[in-house]
Amino acid sequence: MLDWLKNINKDYPEFWKDYLTKFESKPNKFVVLSTETSGLNPDKDVILSLGAFSVIDNSIVIKESFETVLLQYKYLQDNGLSNEFIIESKMMKMPEPDALEALVNFIGNSILVGHHINFDVEMLNAALERLDCGRLKNEALDVDVMYRKLTDINDKQFSLDDLCEIYKIPKSDRNSSSEDAYRIGLLFLKLKSRLGIK
Amino acid sequence: MNTVAEHIADFLKEYKPFDNLTFQELSDIATNIRVINLEKHAVLFQNNDPLHDSFYVVASGVINLTTIADAEETIINKCHEGDIFGLRPFFAKNNYMMTAKAREESIIYAIPIAVFRPFVANNSDVLNFLLESFAVNSRHTKDSVNSNGKLISDVDYIDQQSEMQYIQSLNYNNSPLTTQASHIVKDVAILMTESMVDNIIICEKNHPIGIVTNADLSSKIATGRYPITETIDKIMSSPVVTVLENVSLAEAQLLMLKHNVTHLCVTKDGTSKSVVKGIISEHDLIVAQASNPGVLIKEIKRSQLPKDLKQIRDRLSDLIQNSIQKNIPISHVSNIASEINLAIIKRAVELSILDLGSPPARFAWLSIGSQGRKEQLLLTDQDSILIFEDVTPEKYREVKDYFLRLAKRTTSILEKVGYEYCPNGHMGSNMLWCKSLSDWTKQYNSWMNTPGENSNDLSSIFFDYEIVFGEAKIEEAIENVIFKNAVNNTLFFDFLGNDALKRNSPLSFFKKFIIEEEGPHKGKFDIKTRALMPLIDGARLLILNANIKGIQNTYLRFKQLAITDSKNAEIYLSCAEAFLTLSKFRTVEGLKNDDSGQYINLREMSKTDKEKLKNALAPMKDLEELIKSKFQLTQFS
Repeated sequence: MLDWLKNINKDYPEFWKDYLTKFESKPNKFVVLSTETSGLNPDKDVILSLGAFSVIDNSIVIKESFETVLLQYKYLQDNGLSNEFIIESKMMKMPEPDALEALVNFIGNSILVGHHINFDVEMLNAALERLDCGRLKNEALDVDVMYRKLTDINDKQFSLDDLCEIYKIPKSDRNSSSEDAYRIGLLFLKLKSRLGIK
Repeated sequence: MNTVAEHIADFLKEYKPFDNLTFQELSDIATNIRVINLEKHAVLFQNNDPLHDSFYVVASGVINLTTIADAEETIINKCHEGDIFGLRPFFAKNNYMMTAKAREESIIYAIPIAVFRPFVANNSDVLNFLLESFAVNSRHTKDSVNSNGKLISDVDYIDQQSEMQYIQSLNYNNSPLTTQASHIVKDVAILMTESMVDNIIICEKNHPIGIVTNADLSSKIATGRYPITETIDKIMSSPVVTVLENVSLAEAQLLMLKHNVTHLCVTKDGTSKSVVKGIISEHDLIVAQASNPGVLIKEIKRSQLPKDLKQIRDRLSDLIQNSIQKNIPISHVSNIASEINLAIIKRAVELSILDLGSPPARFAWLSIGSQGRKEQLLLTDQDSILIFEDVTPEKYREVKDYFLRLAKRTTSILEKVGYEYCPNGHMGSNMLWCKSLSDWTKQYNSWMNTPGENSNDLSSIFFDYEIVFGEAKIEEAIENVIFKNAVNNTLFFDFLGNDALKRNSPLSFFKKFIIEEEGPHKGKFDIKTRALMPLIDGARLLILNANIKGIQNTYLRFKQLAITDSKNAEIYLSCAEAFLTLSKFRTVEGLKNDDSGQYINLREMSKTDKEKLKNALAPMKDLEELIKSKFQLTQFS
């Protein structure tokens, strides 16, 4: 209780303090989130791009979206990789600290939704740690877990493509975290109404 | 820059009216879209809901637009991928006048009106498209003209209206004047004059107990029978005829005729024991009726020459074409079309009688085949038979001679109107198909009891018939013969069943359309033989077997079968639906090429239409299985 009070005295960046105060009120929207990462290890790997959409009143609001390519000069250099693909992208490009600040401002106190969202959150937390911030406090929903709950299947996981196939959501030719976030958003709308989540 | 918005823009630019906009404009629009998922049967908006701030585009799935008339829900439009609906907020200020409901799980783009409006104002193609679509979606032409007259009169809008009165609902005064029984005639008359209406409803606790119209005032007050200081209840007409909300034009008209009144009072539950919601006057009916099929029928009855009839038949084609463009349900369109066809054939028989003099015996002229089933939308060939009552042997020759001449004259008039002669000679003018009742009885007996023996003669179209002219009793007599013979007639049903099953399947093993491999229609799909005939034959077989009389229409036959044989209801209902879809494809093709529409050119079809067509073929397999098991046909076929 009153956890955030303690936090306020710590020397967090301004945007993080701001973020923490948002949890005084109840969340009024969902944010569907997808990250593209360089690998599966939160300690060693980094986020390459971010995509997010708001879901308000049972609809995906295209305007309230956030997508960016993270410029990971250090990571690429350390691993001897080229950064050409980033230069070619038409998407908005940001250095990691700016991107995270913008994302945190965008999600606010919303309920996060993703596919295997815990991993996305871990990746974000690792990056936030590098900015001297705490861990994300948002509630999170996982569409895979939702699906398994709906169908009462406990012994296996479903990939995003599996789920999209089940619900006949067309695959996209261009793959990006923003595309994924949109598909997760559609899945979420379908699962949400089936599970009767308000 | 938003990748998903770009995707949506990509999707939109494939469809009207968005194809008139630049990609940048579409991206801007797409950025402001909300994406909605509707579960099966979920309602997006319903009749009388306040308007939303958006209109809608179907991204995937199907949305049904329905309206309620005569307490029955009627589908007036089905929106598929790329279709737009819910345009009402663009043009009118009052609430939605229909219900939008997901027929299957659907994804919908909601485009805010405020965002789209500037593009409409700046682009006349977009505006025209929306106006036309609105005409389809609203049907409430009168109020849209009134509320936004300037916008709509920009396009030739009224002329396109040839509404179908069966489903046309009415606009009427829904804030009627009301008063109490104790009020004085003079005050009420002043009130009516000030409000410029010709009627007022007398209420008791908001329930209507009577009505006073200008007619009452002139006949009871102006004549001096009552003083103007009398209370209003002394001169009111009572009781008042009440109807439900959403009454259709057809029903309102019937009620006025039946009760011989000029006004109907709309109440909440349709009885006089509920709250008054409005008043329908005769004038409302006239306005709604300005152009309708009834006018055509009247003109047919006055026609003197084949060429007059031909002109009317051409106008029917326009009416059908317009109705189909406007997505009026095909079942309504074919009802109207067959009524008009019927009137034309009837008039042709009348004109022949006028020429030849009165017939020497009673007779019946029956349409058979597609007109007999009331499914004739296009100009097809004529199929008819003539049955006359039995006469003494010495008069027989003379009588038959008269009727043959009558039939020849009639078919020749019809040929001039545009209905070709039947290539197989299935017409009353053929001496084989113009004979006495007892000969016809023998004919049906032999067809049904020894089918196959003279199988060259037996064509199943003789089992779809409708009386056009003459004695209804003769038709009844033939119907009785048929149904009496049908009872437990395994042989006959085996024959019909095998006949129904012998048609070639429409799709190959790999679900590809089977097209004509040679001949003048090479490369086209024969929708009549491969898709419609199996359904028509199946329905006829099952309805004869179930001993259900009086239903000649394939669509209604399936509907009726779904009720009678409820355990297979789903198959029947999907067949009924499929039949309508296929008929529509055929009609559209026929109107395009000015022919019977039998062969469909698949290459000119859009991908979605092809999918729709393919889906409509799906229930045929089930029907086939059902027929096989019902008549145990596997051993024969």
